[in-house]
Amino acid sequence: MAILETESLTKSFGALTAVSAVRLRVEAGTLHSIIGPNGAGKTTLFNLLTGTFPPTSGRILFDGKDITGTPAHRIAHLGLARSFQRTNVFPAFSLLDNVWLAAFACSKSWRGLLWRRAERYLEPTERARAALADVGLAAKADQPAREISHGEQRQLELAIALAAAPRVLLLDEPAAGLSPEETRKMVALVRALKGRYTIVLIEHKMDIIMNVSDRISVMHFGSLIAEGTPQEIQRNPEVRRAYLGGVAA
Amino acid sequence: MLYALMGLGLSLITGVLNIPNFAHGALFAVGAYFLVSVVGLLGNFWLGLLVAPLGVALLGLLIEWAGVRRLYAAGHDYQLLFTFGLALILNELIIVIWGPVGLSHLPPALLRGGVDLGFTFYPKYRLFVMVMAGLLVVATWLFLEKTRYGAIMRAGIENKEMVSLLGIDIHRLFTVAFALGAYLAGIAGALTAPIRGLSPGMGVDMLGIAFVVVALGGLGNLLGAIAAGLLIGIAQAVVAAYWTEASTVVIFAVMALVLLVRPQGMFGIR
Amino acid sequence: MRAWPLILVSICVLPFIVRPAIAAEIWIFAIFGLGLNLLLGYTGLLSFGQSTFFGSAAYVAGYLLKHYAIGVFPALGIGIAVGGLSALLVGYLCVQRSGLYFIMLTFALNQLFYFIAYQWTSVTGGEDGMPGVPRPAFLGVDFRDPMAYYLFVSALFALSLWLMQRIVQSPLGKILQGIRENEVRAEAVGYHAPRFKLLAFVIGGAFSGLAGVLYAMLFGIVPLEAISFVTSGNVVFATLIGGSGSLYGPIIGSFVFIWLSESMSVVWARWPLLLGVAFIIVVLFFRGGVVEAWNRIWRFSRQRA
Repeated sequence: MAILETESLTKSFGALTAVSAVRLRVEAGTLHSIIGPNGAGKTTLFNLLTGTFPPTSGRILFDGKDITGTPAHRIAHLGLARSFQRTNVFPAFSLLDNVWLAAFACSKSWRGLLWRRAERYLEPTERARAALADVGLAAKADQPAREISHGEQRQLELAIALAAAPRVLLLDEPAAGLSPEETRKMVALVRALKGRYTIVLIEHKMDIIMNVSDRISVMHFGSLIAEGTPQEIQRNPEVRRAYLGGVAA
Repeated sequence: MLYALMGLGLSLITGVLNIPNFAHGALFAVGAYFLVSVVGLLGNFWLGLLVAPLGVALLGLLIEWAGVRRLYAAGHDYQLLFTFGLALILNELIIVIWGPVGLSHLPPALLRGGVDLGFTFYPKYRLFVMVMAGLLVVATWLFLEKTRYGAIMRAGIENKEMVSLLGIDIHRLFTVAFALGAYLAGIAGALTAPIRGLSPGMGVDMLGIAFVVVALGGLGNLLGAIAAGLLIGIAQAVVAAYWTEASTVVIFAVMALVLLVRPQGMFGIR
Repeated sequence: MRAWPLILVSICVLPFIVRPAIAAEIWIFAIFGLGLNLLLGYTGLLSFGQSTFFGSAAYVAGYLLKHYAIGVFPALGIGIAVGGLSALLVGYLCVQRSGLYFIMLTFALNQLFYFIAYQWTSVTGGEDGMPGVPRPAFLGVDFRDPMAYYLFVSALFALSLWLMQRIVQSPLGKILQGIRENEVRAEAVGYHAPRFKLLAFVIGGAFSGLAGVLYAMLFGIVPLEAISFVTSGNVVFATLIGGSGSLYGPIIGSFVFIWLSESMSVVWARWPLLLGVAFIIVVLFFRGGVVEAWNRIWRFSRQRA
């Protein structure tokens, strides 16, 4: 059963069509990657999926339900969580607070929103700590986010998405700007998450993609040019031409 | 027409520097008071009209250099607060220098008396102000539309990073924009002096209206500011004819209504 | 630094250092500042029109106190309600816009209310203000006694501070700060920013309204300035001078501001000039206000030790 689907999804900004009639089918529990050269429309696609802006035409279906046009702040409650390509955290907050905010949003009840002390909310706090532990940042929970290294901030990015206990994780270049060592750690992290969540991944680094993906969609100039298993994609001549530059796999 | 002038100046500063200039009203008042002093010194209205706004522009330059530029790194909020504190200081300085009681200033002999327009007897000086303000607006508009520097300024409103990447000194652009905006405020003030007299509070009242003009016209939209200024001026005159007390209130009420329906102002794009 | 003991001591000691009326004014202004700071310090919204709520509450409650002889607590209730309601109206228009527009709108709407008050002389008294606001007695306590009223005001202040403390430590407090830190991310994790900003507005407005009523009863008059741009500016000044980054900043700011204005105004009528200068100095060099300056000194002395 496809947990996340798009039908003919299109987004135009005036004369520029960033995403053109894209059809995506993500099966539950799999890791589906979206690759393509810079400017192919990958992040715009993510923005559409997460409700940052509505599509010009087409539909988005989550778990069979039409969620087209749902705004960003409601998407989180549906079970879709996103991490950003450029680190987008709450700098003055501690790591725990960063994650807690995401966990609280998706908690069952907001009772006591105005008067209960934040620490008293056991369930979101537990989820927050678990998310930090999942990415390996539990030890630094009380440090302000602006004081940790870039690599750790990317981990925090991921933790914030995890804290919402989503069903689908949308990860936009989680390894952006990481050293080879940090990238290895990130890949291991993503692989560890694979069974528990459905993951849609945007990445540039081919070795990561080929290693972890169950299926790959290739975008070029806003359109989908290929879709299939890693092996199929590697052999696809169009993809080779557009992206891999004709290099033999 | 004066509203259009004030709106244009404020829109320019706000658009280029991205801060609502709280001192704009005070600059307006300073322009009026400078005029009175210069005329007192030199005895000639026309000279006063020439010199006073330049004085205000200079003040604007000083303000930008001394404070606004320093706070560039601290963020827009602080630049704004700086102009706010400055407005207070200027208002008080006006009282210190020129006294708390209002002043009145007669128009120059050439422009006294009225003109018979057929259906109403209209003061000559007001006509002059309308024409003069109109000319200034047109001149500023031409400068911004037709000259190269004007184009740079308009580009600066749209996209500052781009402009600085093109090798243009963005800080100098800010300074010029601020000085120009100040000049417009100053000359508006100088022109107003003979119409309604001067009082230390004239700056604050004008500031509110200038903000309304800019908000209605759309932030950074210079043509919009001119149009909005004209509209508001006309609207106020019309309302004043029927229900004098409500005329100022109506301006703000209209603004609230428009913004409710169209949050980006009548012509705004942002 | 233990704040509450310090505050309680101040409450007890203050009326013996300055006149009870001035002491009351300090706590009233502090309540006003607390309301503003929820918006300014915690949510990052520079609202330049807080006097709209302060003044509206003062006028409405003052009018009812004067002409309908309502009791003290109904007056407070009405003041809070008017403050909150006017904030709901103004906030609704303002939170849809951000940055510059927001600031300009709060100011312009303030002017709208100001001019209404200015023109509606039959109700508000226009430039002359609304004199003759009584301080009704309650349960036999005559609030016309300055000390009695002072204790009443300071008790309400303590209550307000406690409430605000609960609010900023609650999830709402974190959400608002999150919106300040990174609005895009806050929305992405599931918070509708405009709605929360509106909530902050209403709460801030309610606090301002309370301050407004207490102010009206303190001076027995609602001056036009209460709803003017000047008062909006004053509370921003005071909060920033005290330090918007801390819960207690507005309290310190209130002390500084009221003390300055009361002591300077008898010496020099143009004292706002000094206020403007002091403000500019704070903006240029001490952006965190007194609280930050104090922290810096504290840390510095710790390092030396």
